[in-house]
Amino acid sequence: MTKMRKPASPAIRKSATPKKPTRSAASPSRPRKAAPSKKAHATHNGSRLAQRQSALLRLSSAIAEAQEETEIVDRVVEGLHDSALGYDFLALFLVDEATGDRVLQASRGWKDVPDHWRVKKGEGLSDRALKDGKLHYTPQVKREKDYVASLSTGSELDVPLKIGDRIIGVLVVESAKPDAFSKEDFEILTAAANQASIAIARARLLISERMRADEQKALLATMADLSSERELSKLLEATLKRAIDLLAVTGGELAIYDEQTKELVIVASYNIGKDSTGVRLKLGEGAMGTVAETHEPIIIRDYDSWSGKPTVYADVKIWSVMAAPLLIGKTLVGAMASVHSDPNRIFGADDLRLLNLFTPQAAVAIQNARLYNDAQRQKQYFEAVVLNSPVAIVTLRLDGIITSFNPAFEKLFGYSPAEAIGKDLDSLLNTAETLAEATQYTEQATEQTARGIGKRRRRDGTFLDVELAGVPVTVDGERVGIMALYHDVTDLLRANEEAKAANSAKSQFLANMSHELRTPLNAIIGYSEILQEDAADSGQSSFIPDLAKIQSAGKHLLTLINDVLDLSKIEAGKMDIFAETFDVKSVVDEAVTTIGPAFAKNKNTLEVKCASDVGQMHSDVVKVRQILFNLLSNAGKFTQNGTVTLAVSRENSAAVPTMVFSIADTGIGMTPDQIDKLFEAFTQAEASTTRTYGGTGLGLALTRNFCRLLGGDVSVSSTRGKGSTFTARLPARAG
Amino acid sequence: MARILLVEDNEMNRDMLSRRLIKRGHEVTVALDGQEGIDKAKELIPDIILMDMSLPVKDGWVATSELKSEAGTKQIPIIGLSAHAMSGDHEKAIAAGCDDYDTKPVEIDRLLGKIDALLKS
Repeated sequence: MTKMRKPASPAIRKSATPKKPTRSAASPSRPRKAAPSKKAHATHNGSRLAQRQSALLRLSSAIAEAQEETEIVDRVVEGLHDSALGYDFLALFLVDEATGDRVLQASRGWKDVPDHWRVKKGEGLSDRALKDGKLHYTPQVKREKDYVASLSTGSELDVPLKIGDRIIGVLVVESAKPDAFSKEDFEILTAAANQASIAIARARLLISERMRADEQKALLATMADLSSERELSKLLEATLKRAIDLLAVTGGELAIYDEQTKELVIVASYNIGKDSTGVRLKLGEGAMGTVAETHEPIIIRDYDSWSGKPTVYADVKIWSVMAAPLLIGKTLVGAMASVHSDPNRIFGADDLRLLNLFTPQAAVAIQNARLYNDAQRQKQYFEAVVLNSPVAIVTLRLDGIITSFNPAFEKLFGYSPAEAIGKDLDSLLNTAETLAEATQYTEQATEQTARGIGKRRRRDGTFLDVELAGVPVTVDGERVGIMALYHDVTDLLRANEEAKAANSAKSQFLANMSHELRTPLNAIIGYSEILQEDAADSGQSSFIPDLAKIQSAGKHLLTLINDVLDLSKIEAGKMDIFAETFDVKSVVDEAVTTIGPAFAKNKNTLEVKCASDVGQMHSDVVKVRQILFNLLSNAGKFTQNGTVTLAVSRENSAAVPTMVFSIADTGIGMTPDQIDKLFEAFTQAEASTTRTYGGTGLGLALTRNFCRLLGGDVSVSSTRGKGSTFTARLPARAG
Repeated sequence: MARILLVEDNEMNRDMLSRRLIKRGHEVTVALDGQEGIDKAKELIPDIILMDMSLPVKDGWVATSELKSEAGTKQIPIIGLSAHAMSGDHEKAIAAGCDDYDTKPVEIDRLLGKIDALLKS
């Protein structure tokens, strides 16, 4: 291994590590001790031996007394450097478990070697001892093929340090002379190495035990802290800070898992070179995203060259990263990352163990805080809803005693909490008249929702109409009370009554008006007809056309009035059905006869296809007749020199036996847009239509209303310019 | 030719209908309210009665049911007359005992057809 040591040139070492004479001169009091070799035959054998025994004893007790690892290694090299033993060049390396490199812990006789000088695994002569755990002696280093001339010129002895089968380091002893070491040296140095190993093992055990105790303490402190912190943001920061302290790392990040977006959201960030709070990571993205996906912790030794480094961290200079998922059972709560910016600090098994101790606790703390937060928010939300609700809300015990109520209740009934809480609700708000009814609602509300409208009394003795609801309150499956809601409907009821009265007045007015209008109309129509007859009788036929116009206009006006009255009756729900059994064919014939003159006027042909088995129907014959008449009249009105076909059939296959009246014309037809508005009152296809074709625009609206009243409906299909087909489908048995 | 009792309170309706019936050769007696209608029917025993439904003193339904419940008058056919076809007056008129029904304004030919039919039966 010496060939690696650049700073220690042979020249320097020669001058820096004086030969025995120099040392003897420097410490005259010490017994003269030659090179640690059987070749050095001293005359005072017994004295030398005693001195060596004494030095070894001192070494042993020094090692035994040492507590810390650094102390142990220093005493080993110091003790062996004793002039009685005569080892001039000594070094002790311990293996860095993470890398397998060996790191210089203590040395004597070596100058200008950096503290904690690191030698890579597989390099140097002393690597052999690490490989096989055996002592290796190199009598003449110059003969080694990888000997570097600038280094030691003599011999080297490498003794492994072992704890059980594990090789933890190497003791390196060199001499400027070749063949400087004997079997005796092997024994002494092996014994020293073993003693040192035992001491180091003991020290390490102590340290790890102490560390574990510290960890437990720190963890407990963390948990105590965390469990008392209910504000989520503070908790998250505290958790991260704890982890950073516990792991003794440079910085870190904490993310919580957003289940809705399946992303990690960074909620705390500490000393990683940027504030990453708010950054979102997909599963599998970056270190935290990776652990969130795999549910396994990860150590990334060289983050910068890691292929998974996300672009959001391109500007962050971190050396190594250790990340772990935060899990509760198998449920992902979040992830945590810790980082080192020191290249020499590499995460190892101990760090991982610590993190694994920490993360489940952190996960629980976070989850608890989140649940608590959610619960708090929900509670606040509902409190705000109740507080601001315009509906009076009061909570009761199961026996009807008031436990709380909202401001709306106070406002509605006039009771302050001091006056009402602890009182029986029903007794408070009711008089003898309504008490029984109110008690019934309350009793019902212990089992199920009770609803009603009733009169209740205010504190000032006035009464109001309320719509009320009583709802049982169940917590964890147990009935714990009742919630009662009151809504003031005094105005609503009054408005409703007023509306009913107004509507009734309207209906009455319409009935009166139509009667009052009809009486003079009847006279106009009747007298114009009589006059026509008289004119014909007296030979004054030139008056007849004008008299006919008066009669026709009068009839039109009468139809209008009747239609308006019918529509308003339907609207008011006052149109009754008088169902009777009648022969369909006779109604069809009747309608055809009635419509005859109108068809003749437009030179239309009417074809009637009425199946012989069409039979009877049980319905309101007057309305059926009017439906047929309206549809035929409509078809004839919008057709000139064409054909209108009336087809009547019975469908017994339908769920309800149905009478189908189909009226097809070859008239002007309609566009889809016109069809949409067709059945609305006072709507004809175009304003100009009225001028050309006449009509009130009420016929089809009435027709549809009648059809629906009888349990059927009317539909239309049409092509502009080709004609239209109206189909009324009516149940053979209405009502 | 028939002897017709026309019970109608509206003067113009009464005038128009009676003139047209007389013109077609019928003998017409008029009554101005329900009670007068009952009295004249009992006194004259006409061949047929045309009874308006909306009448003062006693309305047409009451008058009809009274006439139909008395042995002396129940055989006289009565045609109910009402202003509006859609109002349910038709059914009410039949229920009160009218033998037939027609709407006003009267189409004289249709009404004459109904009168003839009842007189023949």
